[in-house]
Amino acid sequence: MSEAEQLGKAIEMKDVSKQFPGTIAVDTVSFDVQAGEVHALVGENGAGKSTLMKMLAGSFNDYTGQIFIGGQQVKLHSPSIAKDEGIEMIYQELTQALPISIAENLLVGRLPRKKGFLDKKRMVEESKQLLERVGLGDLDPLLEIEEISQHQAQLVEIAKALGNAPSILVMDEPTSALSRDEVALLFGIIHKLRDEGLAIIYISHHLPEVFEVADRVTVMRDGKRIDTRKVSDVTTSELVEMMVGRKMEEMFSKRVRTPGKEKLRVENLSRYGFFHNVSFSAHEGEVLGIGGLAGAGRTELARAITGVDAIDEGEIFLDGKQIRIKNMTEALEKDVGYLTEDRKLFGLALRLTVGENILSALIPRLVKNFVFSSKRGAGKMKSLINELNIYPPDPGRTMSNLSGGNQQKVLLAKWLAIEPNVLFLDEPTRGVDVGAKVTIHKAIEKLADQGNAVIVVSSDLPELVGISDRIVMMRKGHMIGEIPGGEATEETVLLAANGEGRYVNAG
Amino acid sequence: MPDDLNQQQPAQQNSPPGQGNAAAAPPVSRELKQSGLNLWINRFGVYVVAILFILVGIILFGGSFFNSKNFLNILDAVTLLGMAAVGVAFVTYSGHFADLSIPTTMALSGYIAIELIPLGMFMSIFTGLLVGVGVGLVNAFAVGKLRANPIIWTLAMAYVTKGVVRWVWLNKQIYPDIKAGIGNEHLADAFINLYRIRIFGSISITVIILIALVIAAQFLLKRTKFGQQLKVTGSSYDVARLSGIKASRVVGTAFLISSLTAALTGIFITSLGKVGAYYNGEGYDFNAVTAVVIGGMTLNGGRGDIIGVLGGVFVIGLMRNIMTLMGIDTFSQTVVQGIVFITVVYINARSLRKLGRDDA
Repeated sequence: MSEAEQLGKAIEMKDVSKQFPGTIAVDTVSFDVQAGEVHALVGENGAGKSTLMKMLAGSFNDYTGQIFIGGQQVKLHSPSIAKDEGIEMIYQELTQALPISIAENLLVGRLPRKKGFLDKKRMVEESKQLLERVGLGDLDPLLEIEEISQHQAQLVEIAKALGNAPSILVMDEPTSALSRDEVALLFGIIHKLRDEGLAIIYISHHLPEVFEVADRVTVMRDGKRIDTRKVSDVTTSELVEMMVGRKMEEMFSKRVRTPGKEKLRVENLSRYGFFHNVSFSAHEGEVLGIGGLAGAGRTELARAITGVDAIDEGEIFLDGKQIRIKNMTEALEKDVGYLTEDRKLFGLALRLTVGENILSALIPRLVKNFVFSSKRGAGKMKSLINELNIYPPDPGRTMSNLSGGNQQKVLLAKWLAIEPNVLFLDEPTRGVDVGAKVTIHKAIEKLADQGNAVIVVSSDLPELVGISDRIVMMRKGHMIGEIPGGEATEETVLLAANGEGRYVNAG
Repeated sequence: MPDDLNQQQPAQQNSPPGQGNAAAAPPVSRELKQSGLNLWINRFGVYVVAILFILVGIILFGGSFFNSKNFLNILDAVTLLGMAAVGVAFVTYSGHFADLSIPTTMALSGYIAIELIPLGMFMSIFTGLLVGVGVGLVNAFAVGKLRANPIIWTLAMAYVTKGVVRWVWLNKQIYPDIKAGIGNEHLADAFINLYRIRIFGSISITVIILIALVIAAQFLLKRTKFGQQLKVTGSSYDVARLSGIKASRVVGTAFLISSLTAALTGIFITSLGKVGAYYNGEGYDFNAVTAVVIGGMTLNGGRGDIIGVLGGVFVIGLMRNIMTLMGIDTFSQTVVQGIVFITVVYINARSLRKLGRDDA
């Protein structure tokens, strides 16, 4: 690293730690990034990556250890200090589907003025310059943010960060919502910025990306730094080993399951503008996959069937009897459940405890003679916490103190607690680590093995292919075909999702 | 707090079965004891504050503060606030901050109760309470079903109700004895004496009612389906809806309870003052929220309980009593109370962020 050292360390963290009640999220970690370097930070959920980066963003004023920027010791005790020190963050969840223009968003807080009034011409010019740096020179800066694509919005976010002339750029899972072409574009921009001398910290679950984009990689596990290596000196399987602390193993056990009789049937279901004339059926003891690209109408379909959203047309049959589910309460009465794709917004009450969340869909069943007792659900809660390896295994722990993977397990536990006969799982393992993924998949398979119909919506192709007994494909709001489990591969599913291949129905 | 480190905690299996090896050993070193003290302070802190106030009172004023007569004064002063606060607590717990329509609900229920004195005590009280049901249902529909902003909506509701009161009664105060009419003096007396009923010779009926309300509300909040669903709803409306909870109905019920206790309080205030007036109940909106927040219910909803709210009511009563004994005038007391409210909200938000519970 001698040649990199000459460029100097843009940032250096020495033995930093941060405690939360109940956990040491970051445990004496040392970490540095050179100017003109892309440094990837990898680790499972809960490994402490996000906390480490929040420390850089100035979210905590009670961390211990030292942080140096350009050789000078700094105390990053507030977000504004971090910004002044030239640190810019680009988060995984974009917070900007806003009805304001790109230019206003880019230059927020420092809009150019002339005699006290907005200088629109300069605003557009300055915005154009920033947009050019991220390859969006052609975009009209006066367009509203909600009118541009997610990919463009992401680049705008980067442009906005660049506008503050940062020396350190932190990107948290920037590719989670992008297509392959868009990812390649983004990487080009990252490399350009690196060559301009920026220090870039790149957080990702996606190891192939790390090899493509980064110069060095640091692995974290359980709040500690495991190792920092040059990307050229390390292999994928070595990284995985460091991340999970064990060898990579077969994630999906292909099993033979014989689905029983039809449990749920949907005929010509429509929710205008979202999906149209959708028909399919799910059987007892079957994991039915619903494949398709983002925006194909899969989430909307699951939400409509379970009564969250209204249905405009069509019929639903449960056990051969026609039913109409008007809201989630009625769905639950029929033992039908829906695990949402957005656990923070719709899935979990983050202020409540793990136990309260697990029992939250079960409340009416824990009432006897008008008296509620959580003790009636305690046994079930304990066994679910054990079965899903929820950590820490403490029902009294506040939800927001758990890592993402463990939050997802609690969300699953909440729906397993109602003992569903039909369970819709929308992106059941989004953003969780390998270990949690295995646990969740085992639980899904067990639920199907017990004779229930499980319907999985997933954009994770290996997952969809690995877990489903059968996959129905949606595209642009229509059911376009079906792939038998034995013939499903990542390639066939991807082809079908794009409306091609032999599993797509003619017409 | 390194002494909280709990290294001896037995290893919890944190990896899927059958895959554990030395490297996958669970992160034992990250295990810390959840601080019991923090939780205890969260729960009973308000009573500690109440005791501190009592000590301050004794130190400053000795016998003139610490005697049964003064304590009865304090109790009398806060029972009415207590009743209203118990109702508002449900609104706060539901994550909808406050019900600003309670003062005018109180005034209106008082007017109606006096108007109906000629029909007898039962009809008078019953119809007065119906006012609460009416206002409550409107609030329930607007905030629960239509998702109107609770602060703006109840503020508008207060404005409308006040207008109705001033319009119908032409901005006049009304008196029980006049409304009861000749020959019905006993009914007017019954209404006026309502607040003054003493049980076992010394305990005011309002104290009994407050205690009953607190017990019933605590039970409702903690041990019923409604209370549990209200907790989830208060923590997140959308999560509740997707957990099979009829969130709009649950929120509506909270507003209904708030209006109902306000109407009840209004009847007692009217009986106490022997007059139906548009200003009856003034200030109860903010006082009630202050009691609720001091009592440990955060404005975020889903946290706290009625026992705490009762503590908050005591603290307000003690605070005012001590200030009165110190010779501080009512207006200055209002300023002090406002500052206390802001401080409590600030400390709450701060300590929750420290605990990592801030998810806003």
